[in-house]
Amino acid sequence: MSGAAAPGAQSAERIVRALVDAKVEIATSLPDSWLTPLIARIDAEPAIRHVRVAREDDGVGICAGASLGGKRAVLVCQNAGLLLSANALAGYAHNHQLGFVVLAVYRGSHEDRFYYQMYKGLVTEPVLRGLRLPYHVVDRPDQLAIVADAVSEARLVRAPVVVLLRRAALFGEAR
Amino acid sequence: MRRSAAAALFAKHLAPDDVVVCGLGSTRRAWSEVGAPQLTYNASDPMGTAPALALGLALACPDRRIVLLEGDGDLTMNLGVLVTIAGAAPANLRLAVFVNDRYETGGGQPLPNAGRVSYVTVAGGAGWPWTGEAHDEQQAERLMPALLDRPGLGLLALHVEPEASPYPADPGPTTQYEDRAIFQRRLLGER
Repeated sequence: MSGAAAPGAQSAERIVRALVDAKVEIATSLPDSWLTPLIARIDAEPAIRHVRVAREDDGVGICAGASLGGKRAVLVCQNAGLLLSANALAGYAHNHQLGFVVLAVYRGSHEDRFYYQMYKGLVTEPVLRGLRLPYHVVDRPDQLAIVADAVSEARLVRAPVVVLLRRAALFGEAR
Repeated sequence: MRRSAAAALFAKHLAPDDVVVCGLGSTRRAWSEVGAPQLTYNASDPMGTAPALALGLALACPDRRIVLLEGDGDLTMNLGVLVTIAGAAPANLRLAVFVNDRYETGGGQPLPNAGRVSYVTVAGGAGWPWTGEAHDEQQAERLMPALLDRPGLGLLALHVEPEASPYPADPGPTTQYEDRAIFQRRLLGER
């Protein structure tokens, strides 16, 4: 029996600890296969209320409502969820000015192995720039401190702040 | 039932410390015209996201009852949110949907499959523990305590007459984010 941590468990632990330390109390999620360890860890965290959503823009709305009520919140999803939620993200950023964090796994790059994912890698960052949303790309686990910074940034900038997580940041190495 | 009568019923039955979230368009204007004292957040825009925003507010404020007044056009844009809300099941959230089968503010165009959609059936199938449907004021008056007083999530569909509800001529003195700041000051300051 091996004592090694399950794949992705270390990064999931670091991310959830950062969220809890940053006083995030509400998390919404829609799964991606690369997010399985992180979402499982969030679901097991007693300091965070975890809500599973039917669509990513449900998560955007829930996070906005939590922010409206004075709580810090995070949406965990794939970058396809950012594309789907473009109107909701822009509306809460620029019309309501409500801040929260989106942790989006960054599919469709050199790390991927599926044709159908690749278009997402091509368009995600241009769309985020077009929406005028702050975002950061996390390439490796040692850069995960940005998660806590993003919570603070979202509060200061009064907008959703997106953290794009590469596979290597979640699992410790590129596939 | 006229939309103004449905809004007046909520003004009559809500508690002073209830918090109202309004979806966009005619429902929002009907609630505003009643002049009720409850703290209110007008969630327009983005269209289709008011139920999720109300859920987030309910989770953030478990000590306050959150009542969402929603139009059928706004709800139809994202019926899947009924599944999300039922899964979270906050005991302090109530949803009232004003049903007239039209995009009233946009000019009265019919909703998809207008007249044949049952929101209580959809909500019940999504797992909502209580739903009710009122076709007139008497039914609405009778169902209001069941919606508001039972401990837990509930959805009430109120059938209202088609009534023109055009955009106001003046956009008003404050932006959405200014209204948001005022709302938060009242909500969080009252804690």
